[in-house]
Amino acid sequence: MTMIDTDTSGVPARILKSPMHWRNAKHQSHWRSGDEEFDAAKFGMWLFLSTEVLLFAGIFCGYAVFRMLYPEAWANGSHSLDWRMGAANTAILLFSSWTAANAVRLCQLDKQFWFKINILITILCAIAFVAIKFTFEYGIKLPEGKAPGTFFSYPYATDPHEPLWWSLYYIGTGIHAFHVIIGAFLFAFVLWRAHRYQAYGPTQYTLVENSALYWHIVDLIWIFLFPLLYLIH
Amino acid sequence: MSQDTTNASNNLGWDPIDPHGINPHDEAHKGHFVADWKMQISILVILLVFTVLTVGFYNLEQWAETAFEITLPKWINIAGAMSIATVKAILVAAFFMQLKYDKVLNTFVMLFCLFCVALFLGFTMIDLGSRHLVDPERAPPIVAGGTGVGLNAAPVDKKFSLILSPKVNTGGSNIVYYARLHGNEEKPGLLYYREKGDEASFWKKFYGAHASGRDELDERNFYEQLGFTTGTSISDSNASHPRYGLTPGLFSDVDPKTAESQDDGH
Repeated sequence: MTMIDTDTSGVPARILKSPMHWRNAKHQSHWRSGDEEFDAAKFGMWLFLSTEVLLFAGIFCGYAVFRMLYPEAWANGSHSLDWRMGAANTAILLFSSWTAANAVRLCQLDKQFWFKINILITILCAIAFVAIKFTFEYGIKLPEGKAPGTFFSYPYATDPHEPLWWSLYYIGTGIHAFHVIIGAFLFAFVLWRAHRYQAYGPTQYTLVENSALYWHIVDLIWIFLFPLLYLIH
Repeated sequence: MSQDTTNASNNLGWDPIDPHGINPHDEAHKGHFVADWKMQISILVILLVFTVLTVGFYNLEQWAETAFEITLPKWINIAGAMSIATVKAILVAAFFMQLKYDKVLNTFVMLFCLFCVALFLGFTMIDLGSRHLVDPERAPPIVAGGTGVGLNAAPVDKKFSLILSPKVNTGGSNIVYYARLHGNEEKPGLLYYREKGDEASFWKKFYGAHASGRDELDERNFYEQLGFTTGTSISDSNASHPRYGLTPGLFSDVDPKTAESQDDGH
């Protein structure tokens, strides 16, 4: 991309004159250029993402330790999860990751309409993910008594350490679902600003890029959580 | 235009006409990678295929187990699922997160983070996997197919026997102190030595060989309640009293000399 398209016909003057519009937006004056600002923001995002990985590393480590100590409880717990729900959620997250990457590309090319559509699809996928998790997983497991820790009251448990499995399951998937919700709000903010001001375009897409990076790391963590919780028994 | 001026007139790395480069129509982001949509959609398809593969592998294994009673070793299940997950994660990071086309610094940050995770998980696993070398009773539980660990290990120590001890009524006191008083089949307790009148053995048992042998029994002056007092008397210039173990009162707030002089005053 060497030339920025200057054709602004069809865009209302209200939006074009807004200081929020990507053509009018200036980078902060302490940066030498918009490029430097963008690179620094992205580097900061990667640092943050590495701390996210470390957060989930604690959960993965707990999983590994308790799996080694109580393999029977872990096998029982894994068998009582429905792999179809996990697989559906995996497909949803992978697809939404693709639409998020698409959104970044379309934003770079200043295709505002399809950019917004892709962001919208990503948000809908986030809602679908959380809905499946809450209705078909938590909503079925909790009434059966398959609850974490002291709340565990499933009468047919065969291993005394099964409450520990459910603690780890709810903490792991719960923190992940919380990240999905945060990502959905990020994209909702992006979508609102894109719709209201056309705030994102070829020279101004830092938040789009960083929200997409956040979304990809959420997807990446689910890529590991899914086999660990659902498939390994 | 400003870009041309910069290149032509100076080597400063910034534009003297527009030093902060705040002209929004500058060619910002001109070098940034714009992904190819064909590449992106093929990555999505590959990721979905890998998801189908890992789920299929899982179901194949389950089917083999129920239909033919073939139980594959656990590591095949784990290695299969985790290697597919790793490939998927690399694809997402390299192409969706564009690490392949991005600055190397970002990749380095993530790799260093993964190195830290590997240290974290690795040392935890080394710890957990080698505990049975120190304490044989901490060997991993028996699993179908066996772990191969401890096949030639020495028999488990008798004191860690799984046969539960008979329930005793300790009268509300700590089981450790109860055991010290009453003893068990192998070792007699303090009460045994008192009944026997073997004072030397009593104090040896009481204090143990080390300061850690002292406990709350001593703070309560329990030995006096049991009927022994000679062990507590302190040698002075007039008389030398033999005693066993540690100096009484060494770790207590009460100064034994003051306590003794008070006794003399009565």
